[in-house]
Amino acid sequence: MSTKYTQELTYGFTRQVAPPVRETRIGVCSAYCGECSQLIEDIQSGCAQLQSRKFAQSGGCQLMLAVGIVSSLTNAVIIVHSPLGCCSGFVGTSGTRKTTRATRGKRSEEFVWLHTNMDEQDVVQGGIDKLRDAVLYAEREYHPDAIIIANGCVPGIIGDDIDSLVTELDGRLSAKLVPIHCEGFKSKYVASGYDSAYHGLLRHLVEPVVKERSAIPDVDEQRGFADGYRISRTVNIFNVGSNSNGDEVELSRLISALGLTPRVLPLNATLDDLAHIGEAALNVSICATHDDYLLGHLQERFGTPYIIDTLPIGIRSTNRWLRQIAAHFGLEAEAERVIKLENDELNKALEPFRKLLSGKSVYVGGGETRILTTAAFFKDELGMRLVGVKAHNVDRFVEEIAEELHDPQLEITVAAGQPAEEVAVVKRLKPDIYCGHMGANGWISRLGVPNLPLFGMTLNYMGYTGAYELARKAAKVIKNTSFFKNVSEYVGLPLSREWLATDTRLNIKESEAV
Amino acid sequence: MSTFIERPKFSCALGGALTTLTGLNRVVPIVHAAGGCASSLAGTYNGAAGYRGVGYCGGSMLSTTNIAENNVVFGGEDRLYEQIENTLFALDGDLYVVVTGCQVEIIGDDARGIARGFSDRNVIGVSTPGFLGNTLKGYDAVMTAIVENVIEPSPVKDTREVNIFGVVPGHDVFYRGNLDEIERLLGLVGVKANTFFGTGNSIAKLRRYGAASLSVVLAPETGIQPARRLQELNGTPYILSELPIGPSGTAAFLRQLGAELGLDGTLVERVIASENAYFYDFFGRIVDMYSDLDWQRYAITVADSYYAHALTKFVANDLGWIPHLTAVNDLENEQQQAEYAKRFDDVTSELRPAVVFEQQAGQIIKHVRGSWGLNRNEKYYDALSPAFVIGSGIEAGLAETLNANLLTVAFPVSNRVALNRGYAGFRGGLTLTEDLLSQLVSAR
Repeated sequence: MSTKYTQELTYGFTRQVAPPVRETRIGVCSAYCGECSQLIEDIQSGCAQLQSRKFAQSGGCQLMLAVGIVSSLTNAVIIVHSPLGCCSGFVGTSGTRKTTRATRGKRSEEFVWLHTNMDEQDVVQGGIDKLRDAVLYAEREYHPDAIIIANGCVPGIIGDDIDSLVTELDGRLSAKLVPIHCEGFKSKYVASGYDSAYHGLLRHLVEPVVKERSAIPDVDEQRGFADGYRISRTVNIFNVGSNSNGDEVELSRLISALGLTPRVLPLNATLDDLAHIGEAALNVSICATHDDYLLGHLQERFGTPYIIDTLPIGIRSTNRWLRQIAAHFGLEAEAERVIKLENDELNKALEPFRKLLSGKSVYVGGGETRILTTAAFFKDELGMRLVGVKAHNVDRFVEEIAEELHDPQLEITVAAGQPAEEVAVVKRLKPDIYCGHMGANGWISRLGVPNLPLFGMTLNYMGYTGAYELARKAAKVIKNTSFFKNVSEYVGLPLSREWLATDTRLNIKESEAV
Repeated sequence: MSTFIERPKFSCALGGALTTLTGLNRVVPIVHAAGGCASSLAGTYNGAAGYRGVGYCGGSMLSTTNIAENNVVFGGEDRLYEQIENTLFALDGDLYVVVTGCQVEIIGDDARGIARGFSDRNVIGVSTPGFLGNTLKGYDAVMTAIVENVIEPSPVKDTREVNIFGVVPGHDVFYRGNLDEIERLLGLVGVKANTFFGTGNSIAKLRRYGAASLSVVLAPETGIQPARRLQELNGTPYILSELPIGPSGTAAFLRQLGAELGLDGTLVERVIASENAYFYDFFGRIVDMYSDLDWQRYAITVADSYYAHALTKFVANDLGWIPHLTAVNDLENEQQQAEYAKRFDDVTSELRPAVVFEQQAGQIIKHVRGSWGLNRNEKYYDALSPAFVIGSGIEAGLAETLNANLLTVAFPVSNRVALNRGYAGFRGGLTLTEDLLSQLVSAR
C-alpha cells in the first residue's frame, strides 16, 4: 500500500550523493494570493508553482530544518561546515535538549556542535582540512555514535567535496560519519531540508540488523516466530520537530487502543532504534510535508507499507488517521469502538469551549497540513468562522484536506514567512483570534489581534487530548486580551501606510527562470 | 589562520551586522543573501540575547532578496535592485542598509554599488559576508559604514561630548541597560555620551555625532575600526577603555575620561563619592547574610574579552570573591592576549586569577581541572568549592559538572529575560550583586 499522493512519485535516490530538491521532485507553490479552489486548480495546471514575489522577506533555510532533525539524535555530534552564522541559533536552543529528552524519559546529555568557522582564506583554498580536524576532534573528545556534517552554502558553492572526506575516514572512526547536503541556496522550499536529512540517514544510519545465530537447536526458529509476530503488530509513528512529547504519548495511546504496538521515530532516536526502523508492519506519517521521502525509501528497502494522509489534529482528522491505520490491519470494528468512545467523551468536554468560541472569527497561518487540519477543527468542530489561511507552501499533499473544508472561496495566501503580506491581510480581515507559526505571532500581536501558537514543543495539539488542549488554549487567550491591546497601542509596525492599503496580490509576479 | 570552533559563542559577520542594525532606531536592513540567512540570524539573537526581540524591523519582517540557485549561476543584482525599490515602498525607515551574505559575495554581486544608486533615498550598502568572521566583525563593518555615511563631519567639536564604541547590541545581552547607565553617569560629570543604541536615539541624532571631541572604545578590539575611521574623516581621536562594572571599575573609568577630557577633577571625585555612597547604602543590606552564611565563592569567569576582565575585577575587587580562573574566548592573536592578560594586574585579591584564552567550549573543564589538584581519595582534600561560574548559557554543563552556581552574563543568555537590566556603573554593580547572590538563595 502506498498513498494516492505518492503514486506518481518515485524514490530510489539513495545511490546519489545528494537528494533532489523538492522543486524538481514534487513541485511546489511558494507564492500565491487568492481563493482556495483556484489555487488547487493552478497547482494542478502547474502555474502556481511559477510565481514569486517582488518584495520578499525572510522565510527559512533548508539547512536549519535538516539540522533540526539530525541534531535530535541521541549521542550525535553535529558539525556545521560553514561560516559561523549557519545554525548559530544553537546557542539559544541547545539548553532545551535537556527538557526534550527528559519529557521522553531519555538519558540527559549535553548537546555538542562544532562549526568549521570558514573564513575568507577557506573560501579560496577550501575547508576540507578544517572539517577533518573538526571530525577528529569530535571523535577524540566525545566518542559519539554519529558525527553528522551539515553542509552550508559556502562549501556548496566553492565545491568542497565532503563525501570524499567521508570515504577517506570510512572505517577509521568509531562514530558513523554522516554527510548532509542541505545548502540553503539550493532550494526555496525549505522542506527540502527534511529530504536532505533523511537522505543522510538512509545512506549511512539505516542498515538492516545482522541477526545473531544461536548454537542451540530451535532457538532461531522460535525467536523468528516471536520477532515475526512483534513486527506484524508494530506501527512506526514518524514524529516531527514541531510535535511535543504529549502528542507522541497521545498518538501512541490511540495505536495501543487498537491492540497494536506503537513506536515513535526518528527524532530523539538512538542509532540502534534507527537500525531497527525496518521492523514494523506499517509506517505512518503525521505530516506529509516532513517524511514522504523517508517513507517512500523505507518501503523500497524493507517493503514496509506506509500511510501518508492527514495530520491528526481535531476530531475528524484524528478519526480519519486512526481509521486508515486500523483498516490496514483489518481492525475496523475496534477502531469504530475507540472512535465512538473517544468522540463522545471529547464532544462533551468541548461543550464549554464551544459556547465561548462559537461564531468567533479565526485566521490560521503556518505549514500546509497543520493549518488546514487546525482550521477544520476551529470551523467544523468548534463552530468558529474561518476567515482565511496562510500556508508556507502548498503541494499535492493537501488537495483532499483543502476539499474537505468545503470552502472554495476561502482566502489563502501561500508564503513562507512574509509577515508584511500576512499583517496586511489580517488587518483587513480583523479576526477575533489568530493562530500562527513561530515568527509570525509577534507581528499579529502588534496589530492587536489575540493569538495563540500553531504548535509548540511543550504543548499538545494532536489526537483527541490535543484537540481539547487546542480548544482550551483558544478559549484561554480571549479571557484577557490586554497584552495585545497595549502592544498594538504602544509598539509600532514598520509597514508603510501605502503598503497596507495595497492589494497583496500585486506583490506576486511570474518567477524568473527556475 | 582560523580553526574550527566547538560551540562558538558567535554568529557570523552578517549576524553581527543584523544585530547591530536591529539596535538602531527605525533602521531597515535589506539582506542580499539566500532566503534563510536573515530570519535564522535574527532568531539567534531573539532567542539567545535574553529574548531581546526583533527590534523595529527584524526577525521574519527582515527584507531579503531570497536568492536561490539560479541567482548563484546568473547573478543576483537585478533581484537586489527590485528588492530595494519594493522595500522603500513597503517599509518605513530613516535609513535603509543593504547587507550581504556569503553567496552573493562569492559570485561577485556589486551590492554596495547598487545601494549607492539609491543614496538619495537614504540607502547605504555594507559588505558583511559570513566568511568575513564573527559577530564582532559585522559590528565593525556596519559601524564603519555609519561613520562614513551617516555621521556628518563637524569642524567644531564639543569638549563635553563623546562617542561610545565597542558595545555590540545583542552580543552584549545587557547593552541597553549598560548604555543608559553610562549615559547617566557621564551626564553627572557634565559630558554628553553618544551611545548609538541607547534610549531615545535616532538617525537624526547620529548624524550630529561628529561634534563629539573623543571616541571611547569599550572593548579591546571591537569598535576600534569605526573609531579610527571617524578619526580619519572627522579628526575625532579615540581612547581604549573598558565597560565599567561596580565601584572600582566605574571610578577608574570616570577618572580616565576626566583626565582625557580635562574635566574638573573635584567634580569627578564628588560624583564618584556620591555614587559610591549610593552603592554602599544598598550593598550594606547583604553584609549580615554574606557574613553569616559565607557567601564568598571561588569565581570561574568564562566570557569574551568585553566582559571577562570587567566581571573578574568586580567579583574580586568589589565583592571579595576569589577569582580562580578567567577564560577568554575571542582573542586569537598572541600579542593581544598578552596585553589583555596585563589588565588583570589591577585585581586586588591576594590570589590572582589564572587567565586562559580558549575558544573551544568543551575545553574549559580541562583548564579548571588542570588548575586544581585532583582528589586522590584523600580524606582531607582542599576542594575548589564553593564555586560559582560567571559565563554564558553554554557553561550550564560546566557549572553542573563542577556543582557550582551559574549566572549567565556573556552571550548567549537564554535562561533569563533581559529588558532594561544592565551591569555597568555603580548601579549595575548592585544589579550584578543581586543576580549573583540570588542564585545562592534561589532554591529556598
